[in-house]
Amino acid sequence: MDEFERELRQALERRPAPPGLKRRLMAQRDANAARRGWHAWLRRAGYGRGWATATAALLLLAMAGGGVRWELDRRQEERRGEAAREQVLTALRITGHALNQVQTRLAEHDRQSEEGGR
Amino acid sequence: MAQDWQPDFERLVDEHQAMVYSLALRMTGDRGLAEEIAQDTFLELDKHLRSMKSEDHARWWLRRVAMSRATDALRRRRVRGMDLWVALNEQDGVTAEEKSSPLGARLEYLLTTLPEAQRGALILRYQEDMMPEEIAAMLDAPVATVKSNLQRGLKLLRAKALSQLKEFIRGA
Repeated sequence: MDEFERELRQALERRPAPPGLKRRLMAQRDANAARRGWHAWLRRAGYGRGWATATAALLLLAMAGGGVRWELDRRQEERRGEAAREQVLTALRITGHALNQVQTRLAEHDRQSEEGGR
Repeated sequence: MAQDWQPDFERLVDEHQAMVYSLALRMTGDRGLAEEIAQDTFLELDKHLRSMKSEDHARWWLRRVAMSRATDALRRRRVRGMDLWVALNEQDGVTAEEKSSPLGARLEYLLTTLPEAQRGALILRYQEDMMPEEIAAMLDAPVATVKSNLQRGLKLLRAKALSQLKEFIRGA
């Protein structure tokens, strides 16, 4: 080994790791262990991939069911509103008809009174 | 003796964090990335802790994974078109090492201008004091290739040092 190689070896001495590297590493390791523990617990509880798929399917089904239910309710409300409107219109028609009859009778009564007076 | 050895993660971190960080730093030239690589390497070690047979095995494994991760990181950065060492110098300016040993810092910088294979071989040879046969076994490369990378790398580095660091080099 010549002088240059010795200089190179000296230049390439190991650098100290940045302060806090070990602390961050241990924290990350603990977090990973906790995550692995949670996954292991789920696996032990029989919650495997099949269960996850079934849960997702149930969730989707529930969401779809909720949507259908909401649409049915909306349509029923619409029908009720329509029926109420029809009832009001019918009542108005009847009232209008009754008023017409009253008006006709009053007019006839007035006419007969006038004829009698003469 | 080796049979009695039990892997202790925290102790392995204490003993080898400087080695792993230095390998990653000299391969990538990026302090943040080197720290990230060191962290990933040790977390990977944690997963494989039970398969570690001895202190030497753990050290060998850490060197191998750190070098491999650093090479992967360089590849990813190359795809993005970044020059890491330029980034390092621009961001950090003059380092503490450069203040205390200007020749060492400049040699270290010149090393980074070498091709990746030559740089890797020189780092393992002169930082980790590994023999060409050990480097070859670790990198899964033929011994002849490693020897050639060492010779060419050293020659190129010497030439660069001669032209750029005349005032410092005595034996170049």
